[in-house]
This record gives sequence, structure tokens and C-alpha cells, in this order.
Amino acid sequence: MTTPVLEIRNLHARIEEREILKGVNLVIPQGQVHAIMGRNGSGKSTLSYVLAGKEDYEVTEGEILLNGEDITGMEPAERAAAGLFLAFQYPIEIPGVATMTFLKAAMNAQRKAREEAELTTPEFMRLVKEAGAQLNVDSDMLKRPLNVGFSGGEKKRAEIMQMALLKPSLAVLDETDSGLDIDALQVVAKGVNALRDGQRSMLVITHYQRLLNHIVPDVVHVFSDGRIVESGDKDLALQLEAKGYADFDGQAA
Amino acid sequence: MRPNFPVRLGPAEDALIAQLKSVGADQAAERVTVAGLPTRRVESYHYTDLKTLLRTIPPLATAANEASAPALRVPGAYQLMIANGVVQNAATAPAGVIVGKTHGGVLTNRDDLLVNVSNALTKDTLTLTLEGSVDPVIQIDRRTEGEAGHVADAVKIFVADDASAVILETFSGSDAAHVGNHATYLSLGKNARVTHITVNLSPRATTHFATNEYQLGDGSHLRTLVIHAGSNLSRTQVYPRMAGANAHADVTGLNLVSDGQHADITMETLHAVPHTSSKPLFKSITRGRSKAVVQGKLIVARDAQKTDAKFMHQGLMLSDDAEILSKPELEIYADDVVCGHGSTCGKIDEDSLFYLLSRGIPKPEAETMLVRGFIAEVLDPVEDEALNEALNGVVDGWLLANEA
Repeated sequence: MTTPVLEIRNLHARIEEREILKGVNLVIPQGQVHAIMGRNGSGKSTLSYVLAGKEDYEVTEGEILLNGEDITGMEPAERAAAGLFLAFQYPIEIPGVATMTFLKAAMNAQRKAREEAELTTPEFMRLVKEAGAQLNVDSDMLKRPLNVGFSGGEKKRAEIMQMALLKPSLAVLDETDSGLDIDALQVVAKGVNALRDGQRSMLVITHYQRLLNHIVPDVVHVFSDGRIVESGDKDLALQLEAKGYADFDGQAA
Repeated sequence: MRPNFPVRLGPAEDALIAQLKSVGADQAAERVTVAGLPTRRVESYHYTDLKTLLRTIPPLATAANEASAPALRVPGAYQLMIANGVVQNAATAPAGVIVGKTHGGVLTNRDDLLVNVSNALTKDTLTLTLEGSVDPVIQIDRRTEGEAGHVADAVKIFVADDASAVILETFSGSDAAHVGNHATYLSLGKNARVTHITVNLSPRATTHFATNEYQLGDGSHLRTLVIHAGSNLSRTQVYPRMAGANAHADVTGLNLVSDGQHADITMETLHAVPHTSSKPLFKSITRGRSKAVVQGKLIVARDAQKTDAKFMHQGLMLSDDAEILSKPELEIYADDVVCGHGSTCGKIDEDSLFYLLSRGIPKPEAETMLVRGFIAEVLDPVEDEALNEALNGVVDGWLLANEA
């Protein structure tokens, strides 16, 4: 059996004194797309931050393996270089940092960490142009400071473009559908689906089943009170949508 | 409250009094004798108490024998030099630039020690008259070389009606306990467009004082930028006088201070006539145990209706031991104006940092990107590419130096 891209074993994490993840177990084999659905406040987004290594969260127990390598104690930048990508629910606006400068720094930092040669400017420009064309990210957007003044849809498209450029082995999409109208959602989903190549794995975190019509998962997990309480195929998402979460986690809506 | 009499004078004051007397500036000497160096009780020196900070004043500087390489090179710039207060001979001036030399101080008298000392001690004065669209950046390279010296130098610039120019002044020299007192008077004719940038790159042992006075005519536009990136103690005083209708000034500044440094930008803008606007924007970045000060005063005269002015100071603290001090002041005598002020201060934004880290950018590089991003607002408007690059080089140099 090949090594799974992601393996989470009994993961517990807390922020300050509050325990939010209470024993998460999850295995994502190569090339698969898994969805995590759950109520607001169930800890879904925390899981994405803990995977990416945000400082505010403390892992108290368990481990995270990426392609068999334990990344639990790694810095966020090391995790990214190891192949993890987090598409943010709310991409951060950073005034004064040019989008192109940022993209080049990110791509080259990861290449450097992997001991690959840095991109030349023409190579970089070509890659950005190609990725941009696929996701309707025009040169006007690229000229602006990072995410500054981008609409909700533009921000999400820019996130997926970054993902396309950074070519992670595991992409975590945190509520990528939030704030998107149906047209924008389709563009984003198309961009994500274009990256499904049988090698790359994804963890799609969402609140609504809607996104999963466009990015069809191999496995759906129901998340409640800091752990996975139910797993199934894509039909599980439809059942959730029809019945609500109460049937699965026993909590009132 | 009356100050205590008699003021106890220290060695710095004794030296200053003797120097002022030696050039016949008895009145200025008398004022120092009576009041001493300004303390924090003098409002405009509240955060920069010279009595405490300035313990000695070296002898008056003599002419320099040697000269080091320019502290900042801007390709294509027309260079002029003042060394140890002496205006040096210049190369043939480009079209529209008339270079001259005169004597004596250039600043309008006001109740301020540094202005009084500048006017009293300045001997040589570089004069520039600028006409038409001056193409190359004009760089005035002011330096203090040799043994520690107290030096006063001055530049007086007249920009003709409809003329445009970019002027850069750099301050540098030998690593000795110099005290520099540098003055610039710049007057803008009708519809003139001027960018005036002063960059202090003096070694740490020095003390840097500068006063930039501006007179803006009808419809003129001024952009100023003060960068403090040297000297253990530096203070630049910026005095724009909005004297013509539809004049506009973007008054900007950047304090870059590291452990042991104290940098102060003190602005006082006078809106003297109706329909003028100004936008003061200052940024301070501190690390180690250091202090950055920005004081910004907007004065609106009684007749100066429709004044539009907003002061802003933003601080970024890279250490827990630094202090950033901000003092906005509004003194408004007109009743139909839009004036405001704001100050912010904080550390590097954790969410922004995490976003960059999550893309694989290592922490030191990510922090540098965010600091550069913070500064971009004052550097980006400098349109001349070579100059912009040189200024970014100053910032990068600071960021790379003794990272702590």
C-alpha cells in the first residue's frame, strides 16, 4: 500500500485553555478528495489552521503526517515547502506588497527549500500568465497589492491560482465557497478540478453541500465537537443537507 | 509656571554659547544663557529633551581635507556637495539649473533653538534657481568629514513659476561625534511641482539636526520625504507654509530606528490662505531599545477657509523595548475647514505574517516583505525610478543591518 498523502492520528489541539480538536483521525490516500462538513463552531476551520501550523494553536496530542513525514512540529513555511497548501476562507489583504512580488517570493522560497533552482523572470511570468488565464485573474489584478480591493470572488480565484502555481501534494480548502455567487463558484470549482490529477489530494472544508456538486468528493466526513463522527461517500453530503446535522451528532440545531 | 532661574548650564551649553559669541551672534548666545537647551518643558521638544540628549557640542568644524564616497548614489543625478559647511565647486549645471553661492542663514526667524543656531552659524550657503522642467534628479551631498565638528550649512532653492524638479539631499560623513545643523529653504513659484527628499545616513556617533522650510505659491504641489536612517540622535523640523491658493503639500517621513537611536520628525504646517491642502503622512519603525517621535502641528490662519489637511502617523514596533511617540496638534482659527489627525501603532500583523508563511515564505523574509509593505506608501509616490530604487536600497540596508 502506498503512503497516504495525509494521515492525522488522534489529533488534539487547543487555543489558550480551550480544547477544540478532540481526537481527529483521518487518512487521505493519494489523489483523493475528501470533504469535511460540519456546523459553525464545530472546529472545521481550526483543523485547517492546525494543519497549516498557525502559532495560536497548540497541539496537545497526536500527530500529522504528510506523505509519511511528521509535520506536527514544523513551521508553517516548512509545511508549505513539504507540499501543504491552505486556501484561506478569508484571504488576507496586504497593502504595500505587490501580488507579483509575493507570488515570486513564495514560488522561489518553496523551490529553494526543495533544493530546486529558482525561477527566472521569464519562466515565472509564463507560469503566472498560464495560471491566470485559467482562473480569470487578469494582469490588472496582478498589478494590485496582494488581495487589496479584490472582491470576494477575485480573492478566491487568486487563492486557487496560488494553489495552481505552488502545486501542493495536499490542498486544504477552507470554506472556499463562502462569499461566492454561483458564477464565481463555478470558476473556482473548475480551477480546483483542473488540479485533480490522480496525484494531488484535497481536503475540502465546507458548510454547505452546494460546493460538493461542483467539486465532487470521494469521501465525506461529518465533523462535530472537534472530531469526525461519521464518514461515507458523496451521498452522505446529500443526506446531511436533507436532514441537518442533528441526526449525526445528536445535538439540537 | 516660570522656569527655574538661573538655569544650570552644562558643557554643551557652554560650548554653544562660546561658539555663538565667536561669530558675533550675541542675541542667540544670550538666549541659550538664559534658557539653556530646550527641555521637555518646551512643548516642541517634549519628547526630544536636548538638555538630556545633547551632552557635548564639538568645536566648530573646519574645512574638510578628505572626502569619502557618496553615501547614496543615484544614477543620472546632478551632484552638488557641501563638505563641512563649505560649498564645493560644481560640475556644469544641467538646463534650467542655476547654481550660486551666498552667505548667512536661510531660515525665517522663529522661537526655536535649532533655527537660531542655524541662522547664526551658517557661513556658506548654496543657492539654486530652478526653471522649466529640470530633468535630472538634483542631489545635494552634505557631509561632515574628519574629527568631530559642529557644522552648520544651508541651501536656498527658488523654483520658478511652472517649473518642476526632484531634489535629493543626503547627509553622511566620518564616524565621529559631529553635530550637524542643516537648513533648507525652498520656495515654490506658481504651479511649480517639487519633490524634496532628505535622507540622513550619517554614522551612529553623530547628531543630526535639520530644518526644512517651504513656501508654497499658488497652485504649487510639493512632496517632501524625510528619512532618518543614521545618527544616534536625529531631528528634522519641517515647516511648510501654504501661502498660495490651491497649493498642496504631501509631507511625508520615515523614522527607521534601531537599538540606541532616537529620531524625531517635527512638522508645523501653516495654512495661511484659503483653499490649500496638505496631507502629512509619517511612518516609524523601531527595533531594539529605541525611540521614534513624530509631532505634527497644523495651523490654520483665520482667513484660511476651505483648508483641507489630515495628519497621520503610523508606527510599527519590531521589539518590545522601543517607544513610538506621536503628537498631533491642531490650531485652527478658521471655521470652514476639514482637518484631522490619526495615529496608529502596532506590531507586525500576525494574520498577514501567517498568510505569507503558509505560502512557504520563511519568517525573516516574510517579515521583511511586511515591513516593506508598510513603508511602500511613502516610497512608492517617488516616481523617478533610479531614485526610488536608491531609497528602497536605504530601507533594505536598514533591514539587513544588525537584525534584531
